[in-house]
This record gives sequence, structure tokens and C-alpha cells, in this order.
Amino acid sequence: MKVSDFERMMAIGLSRRAILKTSASLGAVAATSGMLGLPGTAFAQDASLRSQILQVPGVGKGSPTDADWQKVGGMCLEATKKSVKQGEFAGVQLSFMGLNNQNLHNVLFRGFLKPWEDYTGARITWIDLAQADYSPRLQQAIATGTVDFDLLEMGAPFEGDVCGKGLASEMPDWVKAQIDMDDYVDYLKAPVGTWDGKTYRVSVDGDCHNFNYRTDYFTDAGLAKAWKDEGHQGEWGVPKTWQKVQEVTKFLKGKTVGGMEAVGYLDAPKAWGGFGFYFLGSRATAYAKHPNDKAWLFDTDTMKPRINNPAWVRAIQDIIDALPSEAGDQLNADPGTTAFQQFLAGTGSMVSWWGDVGASARTSDSSVVGETIGFDILPGSDDVYNTKTGKWEKLASGPNHAPNMAYLGWGVYVMARVDRDEKKKRAAWSAAAHLGGKDLALWTAAYPSGFQCYRKSQFNIKEWVSAGYDEAFISGYLASQSNSYNHPNAAIEPRIPGIFQYYSVAEDELAKVFAGRATAQAGADAIAAAWEKITDQLGRDKQLALYKASLGA
Amino acid sequence: MSHTVTPAISPVERTTVQHTAARRGRLLIVAASILLFAVLVLQILEAGGVTALGLVSWRSLLFAYIFWAVALCASQVMIRGEAGQRAVFVLPAILFTVAMVVFPTVFGLYIAFTDWNLSAAAGRRFNGLDNLRALFADVYFWNALLNMVYYVLSVLVQYAIAFGLALLLNTEIKARKFFRVAFLLPLMLSPVAVSWMIGKSLMEYRFGPAATLARHLGWDNPAFFSTPWLARTAIMAMDAWVSIPFMMILLLAGLQALPSEIKEAAKVDGASGWQSFKEITFPLMLPVSMTAIILRIIFQLKLADIVINVTAGGPGGATDTVSSFIFREYRDRSNVGYGTMLAEFYLVIIIIFVALILKGASRWMQREN
Repeated sequence: MKVSDFERMMAIGLSRRAILKTSASLGAVAATSGMLGLPGTAFAQDASLRSQILQVPGVGKGSPTDADWQKVGGMCLEATKKSVKQGEFAGVQLSFMGLNNQNLHNVLFRGFLKPWEDYTGARITWIDLAQADYSPRLQQAIATGTVDFDLLEMGAPFEGDVCGKGLASEMPDWVKAQIDMDDYVDYLKAPVGTWDGKTYRVSVDGDCHNFNYRTDYFTDAGLAKAWKDEGHQGEWGVPKTWQKVQEVTKFLKGKTVGGMEAVGYLDAPKAWGGFGFYFLGSRATAYAKHPNDKAWLFDTDTMKPRINNPAWVRAIQDIIDALPSEAGDQLNADPGTTAFQQFLAGTGSMVSWWGDVGASARTSDSSVVGETIGFDILPGSDDVYNTKTGKWEKLASGPNHAPNMAYLGWGVYVMARVDRDEKKKRAAWSAAAHLGGKDLALWTAAYPSGFQCYRKSQFNIKEWVSAGYDEAFISGYLASQSNSYNHPNAAIEPRIPGIFQYYSVAEDELAKVFAGRATAQAGADAIAAAWEKITDQLGRDKQLALYKASLGA
Repeated sequence: MSHTVTPAISPVERTTVQHTAARRGRLLIVAASILLFAVLVLQILEAGGVTALGLVSWRSLLFAYIFWAVALCASQVMIRGEAGQRAVFVLPAILFTVAMVVFPTVFGLYIAFTDWNLSAAAGRRFNGLDNLRALFADVYFWNALLNMVYYVLSVLVQYAIAFGLALLLNTEIKARKFFRVAFLLPLMLSPVAVSWMIGKSLMEYRFGPAATLARHLGWDNPAFFSTPWLARTAIMAMDAWVSIPFMMILLLAGLQALPSEIKEAAKVDGASGWQSFKEITFPLMLPVSMTAIILRIIFQLKLADIVINVTAGGPGGATDTVSSFIFREYRDRSNVGYGTMLAEFYLVIIIIFVALILKGASRWMQREN
């Protein structure tokens, strides 16, 4: 018996004794299943494939390269081969627009799709965009009617702009079957990815901000002693609430860990093309998202912004208060800096980010903290603001948690312009389905890709352990995501047109606040006023209707 | 020895040929103009939804304009003969400028008076003076304009350094040619590359060599971009590093063109080095200096790339420029109408400002002479 087979059996819950007792019968089944074509063969092949792709290149063996991406793309091509004949798309030219952040996203897609191109005969040209250029490029293409791409990597917040304007192609049934949409985590199922009841999105990512922390800080005896000596309440440990995050961040100022300057939480005050707003959001949701209210950004009746209510102002004030205790140049740090140049490079002990931090911690050459990272859902708050009563409430259940489902994950969308050419349409959807395949998803979540888990099947810890991940590490990482996805009080981002305009204008005002040129309340009021103007400009009634729809109200 | 005999054309025949060519020329330009006008009308009707001819883009109008431009050039030759041939030397440049500069500016003026957000359900709407009123009330614009005053003033510092370097390279120093090339290298680099190499690498707070050196020199917290004036100065320094070579090369060319006899005469008369510079070199270099400063100011008014890459306008708008603000308004917020108003208004400011500088410089130089 191969070691991998043994581990797989263990993974599905068989004991060592049970395996030995049934080895004879298993051998007989294995011997005959090839002839009979039993379903078990396919299962075994699938499991074997998943195990094999996770060994490319192997956890702890450096960052994957283009050769690895092509290899994985080739290994995951079986689903395509079942629906497409070899060379069927010869002569078809497709254009694919997506990101190239951190040399990920499109850079990986190229490798994954190279074997698909070789097999099908189609050819793909690429439009690579930096994160900050993505939204304007897409908006211009939409507004000027110059959609010059057939496939689009896009986040669900843009569905109002694209699907709502009839620019996307409706997903054929054969694609739904190929990508196994039932396997998606619940919060990514309809209405996400759909518009007016039609399905448009092949998910390749799930998104939430989780809480990444340094375990060496929170097990440090010296810090534990200092914590007690300074009279702080409770034991020294990982903060579970934002109140504690603030306390720990201020406490760590001026201390050292392992001979290095200790730094607490890492805020991202510098603008990041609108995406920086998510990081204020992650600090604010525990204050602003009440369990009895789906809304947290705007009022559902009027579209009136909540950004200047006491909950959001408190989150802004928290950042103002924490910044002097953070790294010396924190004011010039954007989210990319906090995750990749600070946290993974050894500066700071706590950061909120998407799953990329955990996925890169042990598989990226630039990470130096892989052995000392722990994960949790975003911290909660001892009290939560109730907009209906206008009062802060302490919940009987304890601290209020509201994980921020920031961006709802990337998906691949096929544009409606391919619909007039059936061959091209099939080719585009086949390419999208290949990228959204179940097995490929396991690999993209396990290695640096820009994507995190979005399928239930990705949460099988044994698979990750067999790939070389430490069980405690990966259990914490996956739990931080699944507990966020499945949280009853998750803060779901509204899928309304122009959402990044709201975020971008907020970034400008927040930059002034964090630089000390305005108070938290004045800055928040200015953001609210700017948001009202945007809502009026975009059409209040339409925005309100879409906002309600996105909340399921 | 052979003779080639050209058949003589009588003046009457020549006149007849010219008249025929002129008539054909007029016909050509009239036909081309009608075609251009017809395509324009069709495009407008198509855009307005009146017709459905499948004109999905305005490309057909572009082709009609190109055809009309070629017809105009040909007709000039046909109608005006040699005078038309002379005109054809200039016409393509004029037509190109009209298409690429004049038309976009005028069309931009129209856009500037519309409410056009790319995400808006209603599309583009004329909104009168609303954008202009919003501009006058926009604290971000005026903050960026104030920053531009600081950035423009920094050109004087750049000029002083560039003049010093030019004087140095104009003397008989060792390895002069090497230094000339070495000092020119920053000019050959893209400001975007400089942003990353210097702003995001050398000056990086944690591991950047400049920050490390600053720590060795006793600066505990070498954060170059975290306080307003320090960040502004750091941006000015990076911009100066790219731009000083440009001024230096202009000034060096001017210095090399100066007649050496005057300086030699001053030396014979016992003038010191400072006196020679103050009374001879500097005044003689005034025309070149003014040219270099004005050109640099024009470039400086467009400063954006380094700011966008390094600070995104922060901290708190301290390093923001008008161009980087327009970039943000247009790109991040898809606010085309207002963004265009900002750009057009800034263009007017630049034109007035540069015209005033030129006028002032001209008067000052006349007085000096």
C-alpha cells in the first residue's frame, strides 16, 4: 500500500485496524474495479490527482514557477477533455483581462491555460492590469462600449456594472455541471454570481478578511510578565476584541521580541485605489454590524451613509489612536505594504488581510515568519452600535463578531460579445471552467495565487497535511476562513455600481484624518457628504434598489 | 553632343491646363467635404438612435477626416499650383494638430460642462456651471494648487544646483567627459523607475539604504514620507534628481557658447572669480537661464508620476499635485465630467501663468540690457 493511499484512508476516517482488516477485500476491489469501471476508481483517481497536484512544487520548496503552473494546469485538464474534443477550438482567439498583482492572478492563469490552449487549439491574448488600474479600465470599457476582452477576471462588487448592463454571457448548463457549483461555500452561492436570476460567474476565489497574528509574540514569557507588571487585565494572549487589539498595540510600543522592535497591529492608512477602505471596514464591522440588522454601510430605506455614525467614527478614532504605537512610517503604508513588506517580512504582530497572508507564509520565498503565524476570524467588540436605537449594546452572547466579507472573491466572467459565435462562446466558457475547476481550486488555495478557499471541498485538512502543511497551522488558517464564511453576522459587501468610487473618496478624506488635518467625526461627516453626492450622481433610486437586492432585503 | 527638344506649351494651353486642374481640385475638395459632412451627420443620427446602420464606433468619421485631409492637400496643389505645393509642407502638421490637440481640447470643454460618471445609470448630462462651482468649493483642488506653488518654487533651487554643476563641468577638471555622462544619467530614467528605485527602495523605512544610513547618523525614525514637509521635500528631491540634468545640459550649452575673450579681459583687469561670475557670466547667461527655468516650470506643473507611485498624494494631501488629483478623480472615481473640468481649468491657469512669466521675463531682460 502506498503511503499516500494510507493517508487518504486515514483522512476519510478509517482506523489503522480497519484498514488492515479490509486490505484483502480492498485489494480484490482494486483488482476488479479497472475492468468494471466502478465509481470508486474515479474517486481514487480524483483523490490521487488532488494529492499529486499539491506536491507541485511542494510546501516549503520555494515559490512555484511558470513550469509548476503549467504542470498543474495540465494535470487538471481531465474535466475539459470530457467536454471538448482535441483541437476543437483551433483558430479561436480569446482575449483575457485580469490582474497581475504580486505577479499572481493572470500570471498564473497563463500557466494554467497553456495546456488548455495546447489541447483545444484556442489561443489567448492577455490584458494585465495593476490593482489600482483595474477598476478605471473596466469602467471605461463599460461606459464607452469598448469591451475588448472575451474573458474577465472580476470581483462580485462589479456585477452591478457588468451583468446589470447585459455585458456578460449567461453560463451554459454544461459549465455548471463541470465546475460543480454545489461545492461552493454557501455565501458565494446565488445571489452572488447571478443577476436577474441568471448565472454569470465562475468563482475562483472566496474573500473575507481574517486576523493574522504572530504566535511568538503571544507566547513570549517576557511580554507576559510585562503585561502583568503593567497591570493589564486578563492573561497575555491573542486579542479577541478590537479593544484588546488597541491595548496590546499600545503596550508593545517600545518593547522587543527576540531582540527585534515589537510592533502591534498594522493599519493601512495610505490610499490603495479604493481597496484600502476594506481595512477600515475590518476594524469597523464589529462595531457597526448589529446581528439584527443586515445593513452596515448604508441605511436600507434611504441609502443614507452610516459612515459617520458613532460605530464608524470609533473605528476611525481607533486607527488615529493606534498609529503612534505602530511602525515609524505607518502613515505611508498601504495594504500591500502591511501584508507583504511588513507582516510577512517580520514587522508587526497583527494584521487583517485576505487569505493571501496565510497562503504565502510558508510557500513564498519572501516570507520569514511562516513558522510563527496563527489565524482567527476578525476580532469582535465588547459592544455594538444599534442604529435603530442609536445606542451601544452589550450582547448577552458576548463580544459581537462580524467578519468582513471584503470583495466577495474573484470570479471569471465571459463577456456577451462571444455569444454571436457559438464556437468562440464554447471556447471562452471552457477556459473559464478550467480555471474554476474543483481540483485546481485546491492548488490555488494552497500556494501563492491571489486566491483563497471558496469551495467546501477545500476545507479537508488531511489533504493539506498530506501536502506538507503543519496540521495546527493549516487548521487555524482554514478555520479562520470557514468560520468567517459561515458566520451568522458576516458583513456582506453590497454589489452596487460604483462601489469603488465610494471607497476612493473615503480614502482621500481618511488620509487627511490620519495625517491629523481633521478629526475622526469631521472626516467621517465629509465622507458621508461625498457619498451622498455620489449616490445622487449615480441615481439614488437605482442604487437603493440594488443595495436592497444585494442584502437580500 | 545631343540636344533634347521639349515641345513648347503655349501660354494659352498652360492656362487651360491650370484651369482644368483647378476645377478638378475644387470638385475634389467639395466632394470630400460633402462626404465628411455626410458621415458626420450619419454618425450623429446613429449615436442618437435615429438610424441603425451598424456604425458601432466613430471610426468611419476618422477615415472620412483622413480622406478629407488628403483631398484638401491635393486640391491645394491642383488649385494653387506652386503656392499650393508650399502649403502642403505645413498643412499635414496643421491638420494633425487640429485632430490631436485642438479638437480634444474643444471637445473636452464640452465634456467639462456635463455630469458624466461612468457608473451613472443616466449617462452623460449637461449640467451647466455645476462642475465649475464644485471646483471652486473643492478643498482638494486648492490644496493641490498650493502644493504646486511649493513645487514650482523648488525649480529655483534646482536651477541653482544645475548652474553650479554646469560651471563645474565647464571647467578643465579631470574626467570631465565621464562626469557629463554620469550627471546626465538620471535624465534618461523614467520618473516611474525613479519612484520605485529611490522612493520605494532606497528610502524604504525598514531596509532601505538611505533609512539605514540615517539611523547610523542618529535619526531614530527615518520615515521620509510620514510628515507633510518632509514628504514634500523628499518628493522635490526625487524630482530634482531627475530634472537637474535637463537644466544643467541647457546651461552648459549656454556656458560653452559664451565668448571667452570677455572673461579673459576681466581676468586681465583683475576681476576675481566671483566678480567675473556676477558681472559677466550670470548676466550673459540670463536668456539661457530664463529658457531653462520656464521649460522646467512647465514640466513641473505636470508633476504626477512620482507622487502617485510613492505617496499617493499623502500624508493627508501634503504631496498631492493637481495632476495626481485629476488622475484620482478621473481614474478611481470615473468622474469624467468633473475630472475634465479640473483639467481644462488647470490648463487655463497654466496658460495664464506661463504667459505672465514670459512677459515678466521679457521685460526684466530688456531692463537688464
